[in-house]
Amino acid sequence: MEGSRSLANLVSRWVVASTRLGPRLQSALLRMSSLAVLIGLIIFFGFTAPGWYSTTTLFNILTATSLFLLLALGETFVIISSGIDLSVGSMEGMAGVASAVLIVHIYHGGFGIGVVAAGAAAALVIGLLGGAINGIVVGYLGLNSLIATLATYGAYLGFADIISNGFPVGNLPPAMATLGNGSVIGIPFLVLIAAAASLFCAGLASHTRWGRYVFAIGANREAVRRAGVNLRRHTVLLFTLSGGLAGLAGLLSTAKFLSASSQAGSTDLLIAIAAVVIGGTPLTGGEGTIWGTVVGALIITIIENGFVEMGVSGFWQLVVVGIIIVVAVYVDEYQRKLRIAAASASQPRVDE
Amino acid sequence: MPDVVVVSPIGDVDRLEVRDLSKSYGGVRALHRVSTVFRRGFNGIVGDNGAGKSTLMRIISGDIQPDTGQLILNGKELHLRSTADARRAGIESLYQDLALADTLDVAGNMFLGREITRNFLGLRLLDKRAMVRAAERTVASVNIQIPEVSRMVRTLSGGQRQAVALARAIYFNAPVILLDEPTAALGPKETAAVLGLVEQLRANGKLIIMVSHNIPQILDIADHLIVMRSGRIVKEVDPQSTSQEELLGFMVGSRT
Repeated sequence: MEGSRSLANLVSRWVVASTRLGPRLQSALLRMSSLAVLIGLIIFFGFTAPGWYSTTTLFNILTATSLFLLLALGETFVIISSGIDLSVGSMEGMAGVASAVLIVHIYHGGFGIGVVAAGAAAALVIGLLGGAINGIVVGYLGLNSLIATLATYGAYLGFADIISNGFPVGNLPPAMATLGNGSVIGIPFLVLIAAAASLFCAGLASHTRWGRYVFAIGANREAVRRAGVNLRRHTVLLFTLSGGLAGLAGLLSTAKFLSASSQAGSTDLLIAIAAVVIGGTPLTGGEGTIWGTVVGALIITIIENGFVEMGVSGFWQLVVVGIIIVVAVYVDEYQRKLRIAAASASQPRVDE
Repeated sequence: MPDVVVVSPIGDVDRLEVRDLSKSYGGVRALHRVSTVFRRGFNGIVGDNGAGKSTLMRIISGDIQPDTGQLILNGKELHLRSTADARRAGIESLYQDLALADTLDVAGNMFLGREITRNFLGLRLLDKRAMVRAAERTVASVNIQIPEVSRMVRTLSGGQRQAVALARAIYFNAPVILLDEPTAALGPKETAAVLGLVEQLRANGKLIIMVSHNIPQILDIADHLIVMRSGRIVKEVDPQSTSQEELLGFMVGSRT
């Protein structure tokens, strides 16, 4: 008891102290708490799993992170705007299956680069369209995003099975294998694509008007409406972005496993949301960072990978992710309360 | 409907006329054939709850549209379909519920919806440095006690938050400024600071319209006062020659 109390004391002092720093440094420190966890995990598994430090492990982790990170990037924007997109996992499955079916249908031997390009376009268009539908239902029909995307989650899962008759789709051309498992100067394509998407999203979040409105909408929707921003169009674009990234994930998942199934993204939704939350983006909206999500995603993969290396079943990953979500949200809320308390305590009382 | 006329803020506004404005919600008449002229300087609106003050303000701010009637700014008719239209016409409003995004910083809020951008390889990116500089200049010029413009608005006091909203009107040099109970949630010292700012705006030749429940306060600062009751303007008075008792009498209807 004594120990935990003094620890809490220490944490609260640290948080109070951090509020005196500039907001930039402050948010950097908060971001570093998940970064600290990441580094701690890397050190921990280095000690407990012999031979864990290797470029093979590094690229395994980065590759395994790539797919659900794409979903998590879009989800970060949606959550910052204080919404949620539950359909990204089934969208990933639907886009993957649709592109695989198209590729198989038009492929007639050879390397198949043109065919894969057509499949890639199909996956993206389906993701963007699926996302736009979410956006229209939320933005124009005014449905709560939780309900709207729960509905489309089911619908897209259904479509994926309708397209594939419920069977996995295989027999894909070599170009697909190259996309999914090839690399350039030693770096897997998947990793490069996920890194590019992360950079793009980070730029979008902090350097564009659209990105700024995502934050502002999460903080005060009415203020943004009164500022003359077209909220409906913004919402449609928001979910379209999320859907497009899920479509890309669907394509890459198919390329990686050389097989597409409606179930491809079934656990990715949970893991993507976990990455966002672990990365320090609160579900209350208005705040968050893309880089936090990247760190959160890496934490999740490292736990899974480290478990496997330690000989613990990879199935434990989902259990642990569930626990981490609860812990991460709790810690985040706790810090927020302390921060607000500290901010109001440091506010000079001018009224008396 | 006539064509939409949106005038851009060209210098100052001498008069803003409302002519025959009516607005009903279902069967409830919130505003009934209201006509008056607001002139450059400080125009106060007083009235009991449900007198129609807020409805009138929301119409002028473009937030809602009247059923009938006209808004005439410097002789030109306005057709405001949104608050953004009103802003383009030079009408800036501060709302009771503070239209600020808590998790953005001071500069971000000042420029919300009107961000300064720069061209980068054909992309329009936020010019954060320019916005911070402009915000700092504005804050310094009006002597608002805000620590830094990179502060999240959430950490500011009520008075500082009002000051941020006012800084917005100041930076964009809005000739018409609408204030709906700007000091209702503030302590005496912060009230004085916000009213000091409003005074500065008046000195700079702005047309200010302010709704208030604080009778002594508004009698003290207004150049012109309008009394509303049950959706109508019942009296226009000169604050210099009106007592609090008289004003209250007009508000509740014991005087006419």
